[in-house]
Amino acid sequence: MWKKLYSWLDERTGVEGLIRKINDEPIRGGARWSYVFGSGILLLLVLQFFTGIFLTMYYAPTSDHAHASVAFIQKAVSGGALLRGLHYYGSSAIIILAILHFAQTFLFGAYKERRELLWISGLLMLLLVLAFGFTGYLLPWTQEAYFGTKVGTSIMGEVPAGGPLMQRIMLGGREITTLTLSRFFTLHVWLLPLLLILLAGSHVAFFRRSGPAGPYHHRDDARTELFYPRQVFLDALVFLLIFIVLIVLSLNLKAPLGQQADPTTDYLARPPWYFLPLFELLKYFPGNMTLVPAVVLPGIAFIVLAVLPFFDRKEERHPLRRPVATVLMLLGLFGSGGLVILSKYQDGMNPDLRAKIESQRREELAYLDAPFQPEEIGRSLPIEVPMVQVEGNMRNPVLKIYFANCANCHGRDASGGALGPSLIRLASSRHLSRDFLLKYISGHVREPSPDSMPRFQQLSLDQRGELADWLLNLRSPDQLSEPGETAAQSSLPSVPKPAAAPSQGPKKAAEIPRAPEAFLKTCAFCHGNDAGGNIGPSLVGITAKPERSPEDLLKLLDDSRAYGLKDPMPANFPKLSVDDKKAIVDWLSKLQ
Amino acid sequence: MSKPSNSAHVSDRRSFLGKITGLIAAFVAAVVGVATGKYALYPAFRKMSEEQNWQVVCPLEDIPEHEPVKRSVVISQDAGWGRFNSQRLIWILRDGSRVVVFSATCPHLGCTVNAASNGFMCPCHGSAWTGDGQRLGGPTLRALDTLDHRIEEGVLKVKYEFFKQSIAEKEIIS
Ligand code: FES
Repeated sequence: MWKKLYSWLDERTGVEGLIRKINDEPIRGGARWSYVFGSGILLLLVLQFFTGIFLTMYYAPTSDHAHASVAFIQKAVSGGALLRGLHYYGSSAIIILAILHFAQTFLFGAYKERRELLWISGLLMLLLVLAFGFTGYLLPWTQEAYFGTKVGTSIMGEVPAGGPLMQRIMLGGREITTLTLSRFFTLHVWLLPLLLILLAGSHVAFFRRSGPAGPYHHRDDARTELFYPRQVFLDALVFLLIFIVLIVLSLNLKAPLGQQADPTTDYLARPPWYFLPLFELLKYFPGNMTLVPAVVLPGIAFIVLAVLPFFDRKEERHPLRRPVATVLMLLGLFGSGGLVILSKYQDGMNPDLRAKIESQRREELAYLDAPFQPEEIGRSLPIEVPMVQVEGNMRNPVLKIYFANCANCHGRDASGGALGPSLIRLASSRHLSRDFLLKYISGHVREPSPDSMPRFQQLSLDQRGELADWLLNLRSPDQLSEPGETAAQSSLPSVPKPAAAPSQGPKKAAEIPRAPEAFLKTCAFCHGNDAGGNIGPSLVGITAKPERSPEDLLKLLDDSRAYGLKDPMPANFPKLSVDDKKAIVDWLSKLQ
Repeated sequence: MSKPSNSAHVSDRRSFLGKITGLIAAFVAAVVGVATGKYALYPAFRKMSEEQNWQVVCPLEDIPEHEPVKRSVVISQDAGWGRFNSQRLIWILRDGSRVVVFSATCPHLGCTVNAASNGFMCPCHGSAWTGDGQRLGGPTLRALDTLDHRIEEGVLKVKYEFFKQSIAEKEIIS
């Protein structure tokens, strides 16, 4: 039955001949372990294509969603961690195999005997693989990705004459923006793969034309063996081994994923390992000589390698009888390896750097282990917000901060309110670090829901520190009642109280006229009863600011977007009458 | 190994090594295939938690009594990496702990229903309802659509739903 189908197919497609053509490639000197690199790369490339295609199924190539979408793939989608891990570690495996393949071809003189094009197409693919690494690095839009790309593209800007222009073309502007991400995405997913298919196809075709070079010692030249089955088997076995290693890495170590890129932080960026030699070399050249290690040296090396088969016409292939070539290649290989080790060693020896790198790594691991939280798209607070007021008369300073800033949303006992989640055990169960909380509260790290929680930038570092410590140890709602207080006293009234005397206003309560009713009803939820700021910024002294004169404020209340204000500030207040607005602005202009 | 003759091809193909190679290929394909299948189908078969259908309005105490109160609820759709929020308007009538919640979407063609002096009124084509949502006049074929609600620990929650328009019966669009 199968045989019939097969011969039916074969008659029409010639598939048998094709398979024969592939399988019956004669190998001079017989099948060998040392020939596995090329096929290994090819199989890994197929795996990269496959995993890459499926990664784009959930990936969103825009700077505001890229990170959340990668986190979704990594943490939520079944099989996502595996596919992403295979793609991530697979790229490193390709580069390792490519270097081995390249070094072997060079050392064994296999580029000789009319194999110039085969050699050059291979070199180009080596570059292409690095370009894949460079463009793919930015796509998860993590801190590491952002700052790594920043350094990489800045080097490009150093090239005299054309450099800055090239950098701008590459970035799609002067800065790394969502356009940069789109460009890198297009390159990584469309243009480079097309180029790669072209080059890889030519490479294999050239290889088939010239045939394998065979061992350099020519001892077994008389012997030939067909590609199938022994060489195919060796190739498959090696690929299987690599595949299993990749799976183990993907599932145990996982592909790293740190926090979302934030250009305002002082992240310490280190390139991926395959760019470390270049990176390390950069340190030994002064700033105005950046070009030498970054462009000139690699450029010269590449050109020399590319023209090598045209000049090196001797038939000798034995590495020991080509001492100059062999020594140069070994120098290059061990030199690069040494630079990688040196770079790691230097980072490890400098206590400041080491502490910084370690704390970054801890944060990344904590983020990777935290459960996936979808990104909030659109306003997550109701437009018609209920007023919840809590009086902040607490002796414990942390509770004071809590009630003034957090209780509105997270509830009076921190076990969750109408608008915010429970904070009890939140920090401990999600393994959030103190550092992370500090940044989260002020809005510097806004993952996963950038819009749902306001940025509390008005809180000082100390205040945020107190909150963070408190949150880390928050195990039960009882911790919100003050010592000596009975539970009844501490449970605050749930009905909105009439506006309490301002607790933290810049002036004493008696000197400030009471806020108009319209303000208390409409604005106080965010800006505080005394306009001293709560979720929204303080409005004290606002009329002294540019574009915020009383006249401006009146217009602003009708169209806040025209004044550059964004959600969660409402665009306008249709419920306020003209008199209401005037009363509010009048009152605000008195607060100095 | 000797140079294989043509007749050796067939036996070669069936050789032990060939079979193992086939097994390896099958193994790799199976692992990648199963992982990819699960990956691609993931969102298609994910259950929504019942809790997601209930939206918090506000503490019951905060709703004034004996007058229609307009509030908004945020309905969230978890789709992949995002939680896509959008706002829907509701009308609440409260008498102590007795609460009725109406969708503010007009059952005629979907405009937003307003409160009027003697009940509710749709600005688009003039449908009108009494203060407790009964149909008074205009093109609407039915009363205002009530929404399920519950009160949990003093907080009013609503299950926002969409209903078919322009028909006499209230029918949920799922
Ligand atoms: S949509 Fe409300 S009356 Fe037509």
